[in-house]
Amino acid sequence: MGQKLMSLKEAAALVQDGSLVALGGTLMHRSPLAFARELARQGKRDLQLVKAGGAYDIDLLCAAGCVAAVHAGFVGFEAEFGLAPNYRRMVEEGRVKACENACYTVIAGLRAAAYGLPFQPIAGIFGSDLLEAREFKTVKDPYTGAEVVAIPKLKPDWAMLHVQEADRSGNARIFGAPFEDVLMSRAAKGVILTAERIVETETFQAQPELTAIPDFLVVAVVEAKGGAWPGSCYPYYKIDSRAVREYLDQSSDPRKLREYLSKVDR
Amino acid sequence: MDSQIQADQMTVSMARLLKDGERVFHGVSSPLPMIAILLAKKLHAPNLVYLNIAGGVNPSPERVPSSTLDPVLAQGSPSIFSLIEIFDLSARGELDTVFLGGVQVDRYGRINLSAIGKDYWRPKVRLPGGAGSAALMPTAKRTILWRTKHTPKTFIEKLDFVTAAGRVDRIVTPLCVFALREGEILVESIHPYIKPEEVIENTGFPVQVDANTPITPPPTPEELKALHALDPSNIRLIEFK
Repeated sequence: MGQKLMSLKEAAALVQDGSLVALGGTLMHRSPLAFARELARQGKRDLQLVKAGGAYDIDLLCAAGCVAAVHAGFVGFEAEFGLAPNYRRMVEEGRVKACENACYTVIAGLRAAAYGLPFQPIAGIFGSDLLEAREFKTVKDPYTGAEVVAIPKLKPDWAMLHVQEADRSGNARIFGAPFEDVLMSRAAKGVILTAERIVETETFQAQPELTAIPDFLVVAVVEAKGGAWPGSCYPYYKIDSRAVREYLDQSSDPRKLREYLSKVDR
Repeated sequence: MDSQIQADQMTVSMARLLKDGERVFHGVSSPLPMIAILLAKKLHAPNLVYLNIAGGVNPSPERVPSSTLDPVLAQGSPSIFSLIEIFDLSARGELDTVFLGGVQVDRYGRINLSAIGKDYWRPKVRLPGGAGSAALMPTAKRTILWRTKHTPKTFIEKLDFVTAAGRVDRIVTPLCVFALREGEILVESIHPYIKPEEVIENTGFPVQVDANTPITPPPTPEELKALHALDPSNIRLIEFK
């Protein structure tokens, strides 16, 4: 086994153009935002992004022209910040395909991948135009004959997760809500972790039941203090509203976005 | 109309709809439901089970956050119950009440959170998406909708896209409370500061409102006191900006 601990640059270089990338966290909470910025700096193309609810990460990658399609239930900043301006514009211009989901259908697609199945039956969704728009099919329950919606598997090439603690071989702990991260780690072909802190493996061995992600699923580990900034990472930091505002002010202009990306992680 | 009065009336009206002991969930971008749930727990529903995306189960947050999935909403929670598990709970018919919003709402209580315009794939406005609504509205025992803008463009005859449909019980707006009974929308009460014709003029489909329509009881001093204690920094006004 090679060395997994690497720089953000090296880890982002693992992601090929056209990859299906699942992003951990939710909206502005424990999302892999430093990693998203590095993907943007490396000029990735035609990525397909998977996330139940995204904000800055999806919006930034859309602004930077890295994205072909977004599989998500919700893309937007919350009340005070409003819509995700670049995602919105790129979809309206037909340059990014919004593969709209309900959050639960993202989860179902990931579950199918994690369970090794072609699809996952799911409760609900009837009555929604998403069925037709997304061509979600129904299957018959072989026992009762009832119709159930079947969500096709979503198997990411990469799960890109920001966690509070990891060791150098890729064991990881998540504090607070796990969101869809643990499921993503099982569904994806490989996991890339950024971590607030790199801790010794002994810490994990002392309480293995607290480990959310085991190292054998993980390909790369990056020490990235502040890796969810300008979002929050419980319990270390809260949303940096001023920095979110700054992003929203600068991201829609390509020249300003380049400047932003070149200065922001220095 | 003063948005403080509207925000207080809506929050209190939403809180009153909640019953003691029921399991209640709100999602993203939901300051009013978040505050209404915490208010109901403080006043008449101490045993209500409050669930949220931060993973909190009956949390006691030190402040109400502007992001309604902020980690502070798990503060004091004795367990973490994740969003995946909340969807599963609803899927198996064990979630009582979910709060959902819609950019457009029709007379059947169906919502559009997907796109404005005739062409879904090249929309005039791409909206954020319905988050969990398409899965939750048909499976939760009831849905309470809220919308802080009540205009003919938001309460509309025909949705541009049906993001979600399901078991809507009530719709709370700055003008009135709608109830859905056997699939039909009716004005249950209009708020004390509203004239009947304002509801008719601001609703994009025909509604029955007249001098006999009940008036929503205004917030009581006790409710207002608890509301101000809970949300001293007026997070609830974010939704009116």
